Amino acid sequence: MSDPRTLLLKRGPLLLVALLLCALPFYLDAFWLRIGLFSMAAAIGAVGLGLLSGTAGQLSLGHAFFLAVGAYGYVWLAGEPGPGLPPAVALVLAVLLAGAAGGLFSPVAGRVKGIYLGVATLALVFLGHHVLLTADSVTGGFNGRSVPPLELGGFTFAESDPELTVLGVPFGAEERLWYLGLVLFAVTWFTARGLLRGRPGRALVALRDSETAASVMGVHVARYRSAAFVVSSMYAGLAGALLALSFRRVVPDYFSLALSVDYLAMIVIGGLGSVAGATAGAVFVTALPLLMTRYADQLPLVATPGSGGGSIGPTEASRYLYGAAIVLILLFAPDGLHGLARRTRARLSRRPSVTGPHGSGPSPAPERAGSDAASDTPARAKEHTP
Amino acid sequence: MSTPAAPAAAPPPLDVRGVTVRFAGLLALDDVSFTVAPGTVHAVIGPNGAGKSTCFNVLSGLYRPSAGTVRLGAAELTRLAPHRIAALGVARTFQNIVTTQGTVADNLMLGRHALSHAGFAASALRLPRALREQRAHLAKAREIAELIGLGAHFDSPVALLSYGDRKRVELARALCLEPRVLLLDEPVAGMNAAERTRMTGVIEEIRAELGLSVVLVEHDMGLVMRLADEVTVLDFGRAIAHGTPDEVRRDPEVLRAYLGTAGAGEDAA
Repeated sequence: MSDPRTLLLKRGPLLLVALLLCALPFYLDAFWLRIGLFSMAAAIGAVGLGLLSGTAGQLSLGHAFFLAVGAYGYVWLAGEPGPGLPPAVALVLAVLLAGAAGGLFSPVAGRVKGIYLGVATLALVFLGHHVLLTADSVTGGFNGRSVPPLELGGFTFAESDPELTVLGVPFGAEERLWYLGLVLFAVTWFTARGLLRGRPGRALVALRDSETAASVMGVHVARYRSAAFVVSSMYAGLAGALLALSFRRVVPDYFSLALSVDYLAMIVIGGLGSVAGATAGAVFVTALPLLMTRYADQLPLVATPGSGGGSIGPTEASRYLYGAAIVLILLFAPDGLHGLARRTRARLSRRPSVTGPHGSGPSPAPERAGSDAASDTPARAKEHTP
Repeated sequence: MSTPAAPAAAPPPLDVRGVTVRFAGLLALDDVSFTVAPGTVHAVIGPNGAGKSTCFNVLSGLYRPSAGTVRLGAAELTRLAPHRIAALGVARTFQNIVTTQGTVADNLMLGRHALSHAGFAASALRLPRALREQRAHLAKAREIAELIGLGAHFDSPVALLSYGDRKRVELARALCLEPRVLLLDEPVAGMNAAERTRMTGVIEEIRAELGLSVVLVEHDMGLVMRLADEVTVLDFGRAIAHGTPDEVRRDPEVLRAYLGTAGAGEDAA
């Protein structure tokens, strides 16, 4: 299992993708980097929501609230007015603050189940929005606040200070934040997959599939439900803080119910219950409107921003498109992009193993399981005739 | 690591005293008492609707009785939540199969939940401690799968297995908890003759090797007569007879409960 070649085969694609992502800032301009940044932030938040709604089966419409707690938490803790803490400390505290906010809600989150929790969390979004508008001294009210840049040991994630040029490419805010986003996303990927494959992940899946079975197998139902909610809130807080850093300004209207719905769309499109799926869905939902806005003039029926003609604007068009995407995915791939990818991969890896000498090659357990089940049917049919 | 040799030591007696369960006027269990002696197989039988499954739900903590107590040794189960009862070593299967998504391994590892400790932080950070624990429990789960005859399906998704195999996944999952008391709710219901024989053999083997107490709800009288050391007969929520299979088979009260005249014993023999 653990000889270096199979390990490389298993980890190879992941390493390749990581290298590619690290190289991108040298080739892409700020527009594309910004899309990437927003996607990474959204992916972190989507992974958190996926853990709660996809894995534990608890619907939440309050994700925007916890994103706001993370974003405003960072701005207030690092900024003026506010305690003015070192930004790196403020970032960590903002994540913990979002977790604490989730914890405060846990008496509800631990007891209320599935879709009912969705309704309960709805209140959080409205409450949060109201507070953001009225608590001027902390949130800056309707106009929001500008976001202090992150500083780490004298290095600032902004245009300058220190001035930085790598391999002839000037490193501005986008380039620097890109790497920050990559690191934070890598942390998210690592921890979330660890959670899902470990004891807590199995307990949450069991809770989703059968609360009764989970409880008689020793799972503390209320505690695990609350914990899933807290963990999901912490990922949302991290995503919120990264979003704030990328936007450089936080405004209350961004953190509306529509944002929560966007995150639900991400995990449904990506495929419930998987980290890779949530990531794919996040990229899809985040990048699509931005790309459509950019290339609006080349699309039929879509007006360029500001022209105000009779046709639909790019933002609406992208909404329609991703509405259509959701419908298509639900119809043809109910398990989302992740399921689609898995089935394609299974089909691709099955073909050589049937036809050629490749059979003994890299077709590990899941493949075998499928063919096992198929070849088992006749044997079991025999058993059925006494 | 963390293999508390629970099954080796004799399990404490399971003592059910005067348990009454009421559902809004309906008396599901009426003052039911019986004792499961350590290391024996105790069958609970009765016509449909007699309260057998309700009784199991009380034993595993899913229902709280309106009166009466259930004790396992010194612990009073009626005060505890289901997960606490599981931690005391009481495992159960369900009449209708209740598995979770994923592979057989995933399901069996759920059975190890109460015996393992890795929490959210340790699993998220993949601490060596958590990984080591996971490996040890996976090995144990595989061992149990092999004991039950599921070794070949260990990495297969449960959804692809046959009915009989899924029944066995449930049994294996319950065994993964290393129980001292095993509650089996109709372990052979819906199985064909070959599967029944096989399951009966498995239960006999478990009992012989692990020395745990088994409480068995079953309609298959052949299985009950073959496995049970003691039988409690429920009818309309009341315990109408106790005794060895032979005694119960001849009890006039029992004969009346089953179809008025036709006997339960003859039915199966």
